[in-house]
Amino acid sequence: MTTKRNLPAANTVQDETPQKEELSKKIKEQKILVDELSNLKKNRRVYLQQPNSNIFFLTDRGQTLSTSKKELDNLKKDYQDM
Amino acid sequence: MAERITRNSDLALDVGRLRDEHKKVVKGCEVQIEHWQKVEHDYDSLQERLKTLPEQLSYDIMVPFGPLACMPGKLVHTNEVTVLLGDNWFAKCSAKQAQNIVEHRKKHVKHTLDDLHKTAKNFENRASFTNDLQKISGGKGDYVDIREVVVNEEALTKGKQRVAHKPHTKPKIEHVLNLEEEEELKNGGGAGGEDEGGDSGMGFLSEEELWARLDALETQEEHQDERDRTCDSTDTNGEDTSSSSEEEKEREGMGQTNGSTEDHMTLDTHSSRVNGVTHTHHEEEEEEEEEEEDPNALPTIYFSHTVELKKVRINTGKNTMLKFSERKEQKEQAKKKKKNGKANGHSLHEHHKITTPADIYRLFVDVVNGELIPRKSILKSRSRENSVCSDTSESSAADFEERRSALGRTLSHDDATHSDTSDCVTEEDSPPGIPLHPGSRFEAFSGTVVEKDPLPSSMPHLTFAQPALPTILERKSEELCTETPQEPPKRVSKFKAARLQQK
Repeated sequence: MTTKRNLPAANTVQDETPQKEELSKKIKEQKILVDELSNLKKNRRVYLQQPNSNIFFLTDRGQTLSTSKKELDNLKKDYQDM
Repeated sequence: MAERITRNSDLALDVGRLRDEHKKVVKGCEVQIEHWQKVEHDYDSLQERLKTLPEQLSYDIMVPFGPLACMPGKLVHTNEVTVLLGDNWFAKCSAKQAQNIVEHRKKHVKHTLDDLHKTAKNFENRASFTNDLQKISGGKGDYVDIREVVVNEEALTKGKQRVAHKPHTKPKIEHVLNLEEEEELKNGGGAGGEDEGGDSGMGFLSEEELWARLDALETQEEHQDERDRTCDSTDTNGEDTSSSSEEEKEREGMGQTNGSTEDHMTLDTHSSRVNGVTHTHHEEEEEEEEEEEDPNALPTIYFSHTVELKKVRINTGKNTMLKFSERKEQKEQAKKKKKNGKANGHSLHEHHKITTPADIYRLFVDVVNGELIPRKSILKSRSRENSVCSDTSESSAADFEERRSALGRTLSHDDATHSDTSDCVTEEDSPPGIPLHPGSRFEAFSGTVVEKDPLPSSMPHLTFAQPALPTILERKSEELCTETPQEPPKRVSKFKAARLQQK
């Protein structure tokens, strides 16, 4: 019925290679998320978890899809820069 | 050669260790920075949510139902937030106000982050400098590390140990002193003494001349001493004057004390003014000193014990007293909180200036078990004061502390009611020094009263429902207030009451 999505964790500052690794992992996550969201039925409800709490807020499916796509783009750009 | 090699390896080891320590600090800083960045990020997201929260009247949400389950629900009252202020205190405020609070906290976080960054940078620099240090002191460059190895420590002391002279003993005059003195004189006062100016022309001194000169110096010094004593009014202590005069004499000129500085090191303070020249007079002088101090009427501080009445504390939870000490009255005078019954307490203002409220706590202390314990403010939590002040609450002190956060003011309500039943006189309703019940068992009492803590009667309420919110707490305090007066006559009812409350 519902798809829950966790916001990505904060970017940790570490040495070069682990950071890159982490970033690629995040990109992978984000890709999956975008795929999942785009494959949902129209009437499905999407909830977004408030960070640091257990409450899930109901959100719009299309809006979430667009934001997560944007996020993926940003991550990819970051990865290219490194 | 071998020594040199070991030294080098030692050095490398030490420098490596230093670098490691620096790196450790840097790493610790980075961990801290990471943590604080996370906190900042959390606050960011919270602020974002708070900004958008009052935009709608209600939100469809998933309500957490235990750690594993969720339930669809609705979030209403979108403009009402309870903010944790710390120590389980919450404040109800609007989303806007909450945002301001978040902003304020973010400022603090940012400040901490800046500090951490600074520290990390600082230690990185130090680590890099350590590398340079190793290059510098490695012996390859132009610099040489000068080290002196102590082979034999006994060579320094030369056999027998030197013992300090006992006070009031005359040090033996060594011939060396005179010789040095002579040399001094021969040099024409080159050492900078103020007295030697007249003798500077002479090349030689016969023995008679020398002795005459010494006598003159002696008398001069005595005069100087007397002048010093009259001038020196700050040092009333005999030892102090002697030591200070010693210092002054040392300053006076090398001619007098030059040869005897070695003696100075070993002499006690009593005989420290004795040196090669003035040794014959030192005892009379000291006596003179002590005699002269009185007529000089130097400012003297006399200490005498003030009469302090024994305080009687009854451990009823509330801060109750039967007798008031004079100090207590004085405190009340100072505070001007209550009118004092007796006028015999000469105020402390004569001796101490009370300018700030903090001074009051510095001046007035409680005596508990012979120890001085600073008074607590009456504005502070009674329960805390209790656990500190009462004599017999050591065992229950921990309990008090535990319950403090939960109970807060409740305790004082509770105790107020109990103090009535246990025949005690509270501060508020009794004139100081006069017990309300003259025929009661406390009349001839001068010590501490050990009384069973009345609190356990309220214990069953505490065992459950530790309140996290003050709203709950208020409710509970009201309940306790209404319930407790009935409790003492029928003690069984408290369990019943507890059960009732549980439902």
